[in-house]
Amino acid sequence: MKRCGECAVDVEGTWTACPLCRARLEGEGCGEPFPVIPLDFSRRRVLRTLFLSSLAVVVLSFAAQLLFNRDSDGIGVLRSLWLGVAAMWLVVIMAVRKRRNVAKGTVYLVVLVGLSVTYWDYLTGWHGWSLTYAVPSLCACSIVALIITVRVMRIEVGEHIVYTGLAVLLGLAPIGFLGFGWVEDPLPSVVCGVLSLVALSFLQFARGTEVRHELGKRLHL
Amino acid sequence: MNRPAWVRLDNASNIFLAARSDADPKVFRISAEMDHEVDPLLLQAALDEVYDRYPLYHAVMRRGVFWYYLQDSDLRPVATQEDEHTCAALYQVDRRSLLFRVVHHERRISLEVFHALSDGTGALWFLTDLLDSYVRLRDPATAQPQDADPEAVLLEHPDAPDQAADLHADPSEAAADALGLTSDSFAHYFRRGRRSDRPTGDGTAPAHDEAGSGPPTADETTTTDTPTEGSAAEAAAPSRPRRRPVAVGRRTVRGVHRVRGTRTPDNRPRLVELSMPATQVLALARAQGVSMTMYLTGLFFEAVRLSAGGLGRSQTIAASVPVNLRQFFPSNSPRNFFATVRVEHTYGQGDDDLGAICRNLEEQFGPEATPEALERKLRRFIRFERMPLLRILPRGLKDVILGLVNIANNRGLTVAVSNLGRVALPEPAESRVRRMMFHVTAVRPQFCSMSHDGMLTVSFTSPFTETDHVREFARMLAAGGVDVSVAATRVTEDEVAEVTDGAELRS
Repeated sequence: MKRCGECAVDVEGTWTACPLCRARLEGEGCGEPFPVIPLDFSRRRVLRTLFLSSLAVVVLSFAAQLLFNRDSDGIGVLRSLWLGVAAMWLVVIMAVRKRRNVAKGTVYLVVLVGLSVTYWDYLTGWHGWSLTYAVPSLCACSIVALIITVRVMRIEVGEHIVYTGLAVLLGLAPIGFLGFGWVEDPLPSVVCGVLSLVALSFLQFARGTEVRHELGKRLHL
Repeated sequence: MNRPAWVRLDNASNIFLAARSDADPKVFRISAEMDHEVDPLLLQAALDEVYDRYPLYHAVMRRGVFWYYLQDSDLRPVATQEDEHTCAALYQVDRRSLLFRVVHHERRISLEVFHALSDGTGALWFLTDLLDSYVRLRDPATAQPQDADPEAVLLEHPDAPDQAADLHADPSEAAADALGLTSDSFAHYFRRGRRSDRPTGDGTAPAHDEAGSGPPTADETTTTDTPTEGSAAEAAAPSRPRRRPVAVGRRTVRGVHRVRGTRTPDNRPRLVELSMPATQVLALARAQGVSMTMYLTGLFFEAVRLSAGGLGRSQTIAASVPVNLRQFFPSNSPRNFFATVRVEHTYGQGDDDLGAICRNLEEQFGPEATPEALERKLRRFIRFERMPLLRILPRGLKDVILGLVNIANNRGLTVAVSNLGRVALPEPAESRVRRMMFHVTAVRPQFCSMSHDGMLTVSFTSPFTETDHVREFARMLAAGGVDVSVAATRVTEDEVAEVTDGAELRS
């Protein structure tokens, strides 16, 4: 073992200078007590910065649209391009971030995309296409997608049941649109609503115990 | 339908989740140095065997809407060659992984545990069983029937986790609770309306002798029941508000000296282990008439003062010292069950020699580490945790609040110390294990100590690259005639490059 004369201590390993006082060590080195691990400048920090700055840019892009006159066609194509890019980037970063739980990711996407298209519709002069077509199709597709995904990927009931439940509840929203008379063509909303009601009753009757167990766990006070 | 069991976190664990950071992921490590190079295959076999007996260690951390919770999993642990820096983060949000790891390097076997899962004492049970299995597998000849080994019983906790399999068979919180293993001792003893059925308790003796190494008798292997001083945590218990009016009348917050330094480049902890013959240090402690823990703490205070070159305006040094609650409130649960006591010394107000400091610390510690004082404190924490307003806050907000409480609390602390006491393992492990060491990630300089096989190890950790306080500590011991040996991790680029020759930086 090496020895530091200044500190009057033995030093394990192959240090050339004392780890305590930096004085030169004397004697023969022995095996390192700890493995020597190369410095690790974590990628996580880079990813987190990238995520947060992306999110900021997207939110700012959306907000900036309000500065332009809502109804003016002056920036028509440009606006759509801009919104398209921002929305797509939002979808990509959320999908990457929530990739570990497909069901959770799906619900996030439904909410984000639903809000984005509604806002888009509002910005371009409110023709109602978002609530009539986009949101109902989105909700209906997400329910169908979840049903297929959890089967194909064999996701455990406990893992997806809460998010499937949320997706189904979101699917009920178009019934509200219909009730308030916000839609021009009732068909998409009717299809989505019926699908959601069927899925909801299935959840209630076939998976009621699982749903209650998961909710009890996640909502415990 | 297999529905995994789940349990709420205990009182201390929530704060660990709120207080963890990149530099301090709240992980601690207990290591054992064998008398031979570790055999990875046998270690894996031993791990598989012991893992099945500890349902708690199967748990993964999940996030609910209001609280975190632990959920059973089907994961299996793998004992690996050590390839990360010590105490690397174990819990990562949204990633379901086990909250402990077992690694080996040459002659060392190390168990690393996320502090929200278990405390030092609980982890030591697991490591003890692991070492026992490993040594029995390695030398089947020396492996004798359990009853041939009376000492083994001492460390073993009475109804060990035999019912492990049941957790999978009948999962629900009630069932998990009934198993006893995942039971929350905080709630058991300190929840309002529940009587504390502590049997003896009034032990001023164990309180005083918290390091298992205090007054004279502690010299031989007589006090080796469970290690009497548990848990690495420094942040846990003290981090609830409303502590000032009660008990500690002399708490000084302003003017508490805080150590500053250069952060390590990739947030790995700077670890310096000092090993020395326990008897030599015990003799020094006895010469001052104080327990080993308080002697080492006093020495630490001096080391911090000397390394800072005087304290300037902040003349007070304060330490947080965890106390294992199992010694007063019997519990077989390996989950967190400890509280912390704060002790402090203000320089320039009377006698400042080492002996006087140590005795001053011991006078503060004694009355705080009694079952009555601890019970008062813990009941307050539990009341805080059960406050309706806090309970209905979403988890994210709770994390922020608890994190702020923790930061406020840190402002009143200079260092933290933790002593697991003297450990005796069951034979045949006892005779194959040399030194045992213990350390924890920290936001401030800290030491953790334990002794085994006559060797005391004091492991210093700090988020800073500087080792000045350790240097002063080691020099004072050496000046007192103690044979100290130093083992340090390499944390700066230069130190790493010295060995790897042209440090390959992972990016």
